[in-house]
Amino acid sequence: MCLGSGRSPFSIMVQSIELQIGLPRQHIKGESLKLGEKLVALRQLSSSGKQARREVTTMEQTEVVKPETLDDLIKILHKIFESDCINVEEVQNIMESYESKPQEWKTYAKFDQYRYTRNLVDEGNGKFNLLILCWGEGHGSSIHDHTDSHCFMKLLQGQLKETLFEWPDNRSQGEMVQKSQRILQENKVAYINDSIGLHRVENVSHTEGAVSLHLYSPPFQTCQTFDQRTGHRDTVKMTFWSKFGERTPFETTLSQENN
Amino acid sequence: MGSYEDAGAAGDVVLDYSHLSLNTFNVDSISDERKRDAKQLYLSYNRLASLPSSVSLFCKLEFLDISNNGLVDICDGITRLTRLKTLVAKNNRLDEFSLPKEFGSLQLETLNFSGNRFEEIPLQCMKLLRLHSLSLGGNRLKSIPAEIENLTSLELLYLGGNLISAIPPEVANLPYLTYLVLCDNRIQSIPPQLTSPLYSRLHSLRSLSLHNNLLTYLPREILSLVHLQELSLRGNPLVVRFVKEMTYDPPSLLELAGRTVKSRNIPYSACDLPSNLLRYLDLASKCPNPKCAGVYFDSCVRQIKFVDFCGKYRLPLMHYLCSPECTSPCSSNPQSDAESEDERSVPTDRLQRVLLG
Repeated sequence: MCLGSGRSPFSIMVQSIELQIGLPRQHIKGESLKLGEKLVALRQLSSSGKQARREVTTMEQTEVVKPETLDDLIKILHKIFESDCINVEEVQNIMESYESKPQEWKTYAKFDQYRYTRNLVDEGNGKFNLLILCWGEGHGSSIHDHTDSHCFMKLLQGQLKETLFEWPDNRSQGEMVQKSQRILQENKVAYINDSIGLHRVENVSHTEGAVSLHLYSPPFQTCQTFDQRTGHRDTVKMTFWSKFGERTPFETTLSQENN
Repeated sequence: MGSYEDAGAAGDVVLDYSHLSLNTFNVDSISDERKRDAKQLYLSYNRLASLPSSVSLFCKLEFLDISNNGLVDICDGITRLTRLKTLVAKNNRLDEFSLPKEFGSLQLETLNFSGNRFEEIPLQCMKLLRLHSLSLGGNRLKSIPAEIENLTSLELLYLGGNLISAIPPEVANLPYLTYLVLCDNRIQSIPPQLTSPLYSRLHSLRSLSLHNNLLTYLPREILSLVHLQELSLRGNPLVVRFVKEMTYDPPSLLELAGRTVKSRNIPYSACDLPSNLLRYLDLASKCPNPKCAGVYFDSCVRQIKFVDFCGKYRLPLMHYLCSPECTSPCSSNPQSDAESEDERSVPTDRLQRVLLG
């Protein structure tokens, strides 16, 4: 039996989730249910989000609620952002604990052949914007800032390379200084703001697309893009490929990415 | 890009055998009726070492995904799938010897062989005349064959992540190409024919991906790609400053004669000249200086102008001029047709070619 259902959360120790073979299987697409059916059943079970689970430790008094679905995550984020004070670690942990389930965000994941897309998921009561970005093979962004806002980025599918840069010196003209580089794995969350620096995000895979969930607080409509060779900056307007699952074409078709 | 899941209409029979750790695909366990009616077959993320030839029994198949297996070759049986439009075989162990002899007879519109071990684009692929989309990203390709121009329906060509050092000018003969990806290769220059308004048929090109190569400049004619909306250039050693190359060799007598013939429109025909001279005269390039009616052959001056284009800041565009007295016409972007800063300070007679940045 899964833990937590109907029992007081504070009296339960953390235990591993026990798998139960034998629960009724959902209908699986495809012929020959004999082939690998056990594996299929296991896969179905571990991804089933029907029962709400709570993981609690006895050491801490606070209850950590794990968002089971994307809707759960959005509701929790709304609550967290009711206050004006953001605990970066708290937001990062909450976003990281949501295990990405493609069925839940497929409707927002609209890819474009030529470049990455920004798809608005939720407007966070004006406190934040939640977006899903879709990166085709080889797609990358320019080096950009975050207009004095917090930026959280979670990998929902695939991997993204993040390269951090120092702000260019206003006077010196030359190649921008790279600070660090990392590959973000599925379900991981990265955080950045202008005081940390600037970054470029790229899908370096030539075989897989990548999908990421972004939270920006407060929301912003313009940002600066930077030319890596010279540090020259331009202000660009940010556009949405889709909003709430509906495609929203924008007026300008000229590329504003310096990538 | 993204998923192929939306291919096909509602009501199509879709057989999904992906993610089942299959070592073999047992076609016999599927009813004859299902085999006959199936339009889409997913076999990705298994452990198939080979595809059984009996896959040909899926006679109405339009979509086949055999990605992420351990395939070392593709069976002959596949060539009997006359309705097959899309073949996705990413992340296997295929190379140019893996394809059946008659592979070129398929009516494929989309072919994705990314993440394999191809060192050459197999010639059978150059026979797929209905191909709209060809992906060979993440392989070991050293070159692109000239026969690529046979694929006249091609709209997407993805060759990122290979070992390509040069682009054949024949790529310019693909009139429907909208997306050309050549990132993460070893390309040192773009052949002028690719972007030349005279030679290139790349009128549809909308997106050109060139990041992470060895480019130091781009041809001036790239500005003539009027539909270009996306251009990626990060990770190239693009020059930041360039001084006009003044140490140019004076033209040879042959060149001077050729220039005179062309610029004065002196008529000539095959019986007037030996064939090698006829060929030479055909190679004349017009000087882009609008005040100069001249042409040049081998002897020219190279000059870089920095132009903002396609969201990029100060791209170095290479101009070829017939003499040091010529200047290139202004770029299409009035914002920044800035000459190299150094030119003004160094006396003309002592200018040397310097590539900086």
